[in-house]
Amino acid sequence: MQDSGKNIIIAGVGGQGILLFSNLLSKFYLKRGYHLKISDVIGLGQRGGGVESHFRYSAKPVLSPFIKAGDVDYVISFEQTETLRHLHALKEDGVLLTSTYELTSTSVNARLQKDLPECKTEIIKRSENTKFIIEPNAHKNLDFDINKMMNVVMLGYYAELRNYPHDEMIQIVRENVPAKFVEGNIKAYEMGSQIAREELVAEECVAIRC
Amino acid sequence: MDIGVELATMQMMNGNEAVARGAFEAGVKIASGFPGTPSTEVMDYTHLKHPEIYCEWSTNEKVALEVAIGASFAGYRSMAIMKTVGLHVAADALGGAAGSQINGGLVLVVGDDVGRIAGDDYNDCRHYGNMFNIPVLEPSDSQEAKDLMIKAFEISEEYSTPVIFKITSVICKTSSGVKIDPDYTYEEKYRNKYPISFSKVIMTTIMTKAKGSEHPKLTKCFNDFPAHMNRLAEDSNDFEINRLELNDKKIGIITAGTPYYYVKEVLPEASVLKLGLVTPLPAKQIKQLAEHVDKLYVIEDGHDIMEKNIKDLGISVIGKELWPKFPEMMRFTPDVIEEKLVPDAPKRTPQEGVPFRLPVSCAGCSHLFISRVLKKHKIKAAADVTCGLIGCFPHMESYSLQKCMGSSIALAHGYNVAKNNTENFVAMIGDGGFWATGVNGLMNLIFNNSQSTVIIVDNSCLAMTGGQNVASSEFGFNYKPENKLDIAKVCEAIGVKDVVTVDAYESENLEASILKAVNSKTNSVVIVKKPCVTKFKLPKEKQYYIDQDACTKCRKCVGVGCLAIESKGNNGSTEIVINEDICTGCGLCSTACQFEAIKN
Repeated sequence: MQDSGKNIIIAGVGGQGILLFSNLLSKFYLKRGYHLKISDVIGLGQRGGGVESHFRYSAKPVLSPFIKAGDVDYVISFEQTETLRHLHALKEDGVLLTSTYELTSTSVNARLQKDLPECKTEIIKRSENTKFIIEPNAHKNLDFDINKMMNVVMLGYYAELRNYPHDEMIQIVRENVPAKFVEGNIKAYEMGSQIAREELVAEECVAIRC
Repeated sequence: MDIGVELATMQMMNGNEAVARGAFEAGVKIASGFPGTPSTEVMDYTHLKHPEIYCEWSTNEKVALEVAIGASFAGYRSMAIMKTVGLHVAADALGGAAGSQINGGLVLVVGDDVGRIAGDDYNDCRHYGNMFNIPVLEPSDSQEAKDLMIKAFEISEEYSTPVIFKITSVICKTSSGVKIDPDYTYEEKYRNKYPISFSKVIMTTIMTKAKGSEHPKLTKCFNDFPAHMNRLAEDSNDFEINRLELNDKKIGIITAGTPYYYVKEVLPEASVLKLGLVTPLPAKQIKQLAEHVDKLYVIEDGHDIMEKNIKDLGISVIGKELWPKFPEMMRFTPDVIEEKLVPDAPKRTPQEGVPFRLPVSCAGCSHLFISRVLKKHKIKAAADVTCGLIGCFPHMESYSLQKCMGSSIALAHGYNVAKNNTENFVAMIGDGGFWATGVNGLMNLIFNNSQSTVIIVDNSCLAMTGGQNVASSEFGFNYKPENKLDIAKVCEAIGVKDVVTVDAYESENLEASILKAVNSKTNSVVIVKKPCVTKFKLPKEKQYYIDQDACTKCRKCVGVGCLAIESKGNNGSTEIVINEDICTGCGLCSTACQFEAIKN
């Protein structure tokens, strides 16, 4: 394998399954013999706080558990306020995968702080990095709740983007999620990889309503 | 790339799991503790993965440490687990154990929340190493967390001392590979060296040496703990866990914990002294490094403890003058080191104006129901810690006084006494805080004739740390129904005049019960029952939504403090909406709406 390793920040809010995402991904890279360091930063409060996972895989032992700003190859974010919090950390050729899902910050709800004056998706689209944007509302379906399974949708998307074998990834999903959620998760995975295939063919992001 | 031979025995573990594995390999028999982020999972993993080890969540940290001290005296290796804030509670017990005779190794695993990731008040457990003259060990990754645990028990027995094993929020929550022998078999370690073990009070009173008596009854009580520590300090120059890496002569860095890896990444050429034992310090190694380099820095998370200890050795070192501590800096990162020591490194600027996230209660939390009653009737109250403390944040403003775990009952009593009982300043406390130390406050409140009202929030677990069992829970490592403690019965037995129990979701009953208690001229307890929504995953019975035509945007529902109620939209055209994924259907918001705009 030519890939000597990557630095990934996985971001979102509590309850979005960020830790499951990094756990599933870690199984894949471990099987390939990489060294890993995964550092989870979870805020106070059970739900709705920002969560970030610094995920590093490397052919050589990983040193720092935190990735320096400017050293990030991929930002994978399930919530777009959190996307903006981490966007600057990407390398110049770093890639962004983000959902347009948004959970308004408590401080904004309580009017303790002003939100950004314009639509966050528009700010994200102005970034010079390569970016892939998924709008969950455009993919609502009866098989699974996309807002709850965006993590696995994103896993399928990422795997397609990296050209990883889906069979292997699906097997990892199968082995690591509770039995009653396996089918939904596999459908979510397949939807993610399908969206990525279509977009990679079109070579541009879907138009996002603001 | 093929899986290497070495990697075949590697397991991914976070620091908490690695500490548990280390305890297992060290032959620990007893683990006692009290939940506290970031180190709660040390106990969870010990219990889950190593059933050979007896585990208990004790009623508080002091009790937990005392259990471990007793087990250690019995001859068995024991560990107590807590966060640093908990060590403040257990400090008296640690003071008693420090300097005393140790049979089975005694290790205190303490979680420091560097960077206040989970909200501590910027503590550093290493202070206790200095104060009590006991060693502190600190690992840099999971592999070391496992290995150093074994060393910690060896040090404890060899130098007859309790050992603090410092882990941080970064270590605890970082997973990396740990070499595991899959065929490792557990062996319980036993050592019975001393027939007695007394706190230093006994020996400082007898002062055997000063009084010149060699009577064996006197010498038996004397434990020359300063000599043990001096020997440890001397020996530590040769410990493998303290590693001197002499490279470039320009920059030398003394560091420990995860900052070691930040240093290695940012300054791969620098000379480094990487400490596994952070108290006491290896003076010879430090002098050797100081002589080797032009400039010597110390990079340590938390307080400037190593820095002061190094300066006490007469060695000048640069630390907080370059990296000022709180509030300028919360913790080290590779970026922070690079900014100061690699000036030409490119800088990255974060997006401006990204709003931060205040901690918020889970949707459907019983604390929100209580906050609503207190605010509606302008009842002044003290909060405790754990989930109830969220009511103190600026988006809630439900409480005006809040201090440490278990404090609110005594705080309210003190306030009411000072005000000659002219106000009924209410105490709100969770079941965890109540059993931890709050029950002492309640006993004090009764026998000192208080008229205070106490609201006890019974959510059947310690919710903030992920739902561990407390004395009144109906589950847990050692749970037996007949030994479950009953909050109401205990309150009655203590002598509280008026004890009522209400369901948090019965809003009218809750409101009436709190008002009745507050307005009565006697002491009273209102127990508000509702299992933690997150731990027990209460089923969602209704889905509420806001009828935008009926909504006047008065924002009363926002004031409830529920995570599911969001302001949406930019440029002034804000709508208040209920997030369907987060709403638990508790209906609290609908009771706040005067316009019947919140429907299900």
